[in-house]
Amino acid sequence: MGYFLEGLKQALRLLVPPSGEVLEIVGLSLLVSGAATALAAAVGVPFGLWLSLAEFRGRRVLVSLVQTALSVPAVLIGLVVYILVSRRGLFGFLGLLFTPGAMILAQALLALPLVTALTLAAFQGPAREGRDLAYSLGASRGRMLGTILRQGRFAFIAAMITGFSRVVGETGMTLMVGGNIKGATRVMTTAISLETMKGNFEIGLALGIVLLLVALVVNVFLQMCQGK
Amino acid sequence: MRIEARGVYRKSGKHPILRGVSLAVRGGGAFVVLGPNGAGKTTLLRILALLDKPNAGEVLYDGRPASRFSGAERTALRRRLGFVFQHPLLLNGPVIANMRYALKLRKLPAAEDRIDRELAALGLASKKDLDVRLLSGGEKQRLQLARAMVLEPEVLFADEPTSNLDPVSARTIEDRLRKMAAAGKTVVLTTHNLLQARLFGAQVFFLKAGEIVQQGTAFQVLENPATLDVAQFSSITNVFHGRLVRADGESFLEIGPARIQVASGLDEGPVAAIIRPEDILVSRDPITSSARNHFSGKVTFVDDLGMVVVLQVACGDLTLRATITRTSLREMGIRTGDEIVLTFKASAVLLFPEE
Repeated sequence: MGYFLEGLKQALRLLVPPSGEVLEIVGLSLLVSGAATALAAAVGVPFGLWLSLAEFRGRRVLVSLVQTALSVPAVLIGLVVYILVSRRGLFGFLGLLFTPGAMILAQALLALPLVTALTLAAFQGPAREGRDLAYSLGASRGRMLGTILRQGRFAFIAAMITGFSRVVGETGMTLMVGGNIKGATRVMTTAISLETMKGNFEIGLALGIVLLLVALVVNVFLQMCQGK
Repeated sequence: MRIEARGVYRKSGKHPILRGVSLAVRGGGAFVVLGPNGAGKTTLLRILALLDKPNAGEVLYDGRPASRFSGAERTALRRRLGFVFQHPLLLNGPVIANMRYALKLRKLPAAEDRIDRELAALGLASKKDLDVRLLSGGEKQRLQLARAMVLEPEVLFADEPTSNLDPVSARTIEDRLRKMAAAGKTVVLTTHNLLQARLFGAQVFFLKAGEIVQQGTAFQVLENPATLDVAQFSSITNVFHGRLVRADGESFLEIGPARIQVASGLDEGPVAAIIRPEDILVSRDPITSSARNHFSGKVTFVDDLGMVVVLQVACGDLTLRATITRTSLREMGIRTGDEIVLTFKASAVLLFPEE
């Protein structure tokens, strides 16, 4: 117990004021996961919205597929991305392996079904109602979609935050395609994993505290949005 | 605008909701789609308002088929229509924001005086800054109507706009819709309330199981219902099942041992009959009248409905209900258990053939 408290003390010393290394790791984490969430949202939100509005044969099959994609293990996505971006892979020419680009791609693929499914679930009712409301007032198609997003904006934010939380805390896949290279692809989770194995609990704890803080800030923000 | 439906068919999954509906709504006045729950009223209204598409058939607007409209043309046409949903669809936020949003959606200037006028017309002037979540059901519906009205539609569709509302809200909404129809605009509403149809003095389309079974003015439909379903809308009491027989050139309805003289061109055989409670005359003693049917019986229930009172009278095996005014009740001093006489004409009995 004593050495845990000692580690915690050292962790706090690393955080106040934050050391350059910690800042760098936290910054990259937020950047990679933020970009991945934005990428997943750019595809997943329109797709989820379309799925909640469309009426066609095979819609149910597509919805089931999205839900199945929720349970695809992260390491499997890591493996596929690894194969795709490795030098002999389809996108090998881009030289993405062991770069933040590969990490963003993998995390975006992990978040995509989640963002899609959450958008679909959140907008199933509001989308149809919003469409009725907007069309009954003579809105154009573009304004109709705007009305739906306005009505469902909290659900939309919740989908974003859930997607972000999922990917910022992911370790194995990010390690596979990123490589945990110090100063280049080291993020919070991969750093915690490495430092713990090296016995450097203080860095791991410091980063763990930051991870919790990030989660806290994000959730308080969500609560505030919904309260208003 | 003239709206015409031709053989409109719509299904949900494999279940048909509308089975070839044809009707025409010519510009100006009130039109009522009347029918029981599940008849397809909402679906029909949504198709006419360009919110849904039929699976087969066509809707024409001023003679032009909707299926050939481009997206922009559909939007342009929708701007001449308004829709009030049965369950109010409102935007989160204050009342005034809903009104402004409607104008904004159409890129119209935020005409505050017009907004104020519509809110006042529906009794919402004092609720302007209230969040819509704090409105009562009736106020929500009134706001939905005010929001549709501020866009000044040529045709307004209202899907059961007053069902489940408090009387004040219902009355306010009815008044606003009637004013619109009187001003030469078109109002198309659905209802399962014939009194409401009558109030609008409207052209009535009676929808049953996805088909229009009768159309005409509210008065015509009420006086000459084409089917038992339609008749039961104006009178849900005094419905009997019996046999039509002819004797000595006269027609009679036999219900068990009871025999009622009727006027009907139907063939002999099983029939359903309705005798409207308001067509039955109530008296203490037998009266001299050209009416052919006289039954004496004992009052078993007195139901006070306010303006009128419904008496339930046991005439042998036949239980009849008759409506009288509260004044007549008092003058005649009728109480439960009293012996009274019921008189009605042969033509007061509406008959419908039964299998």
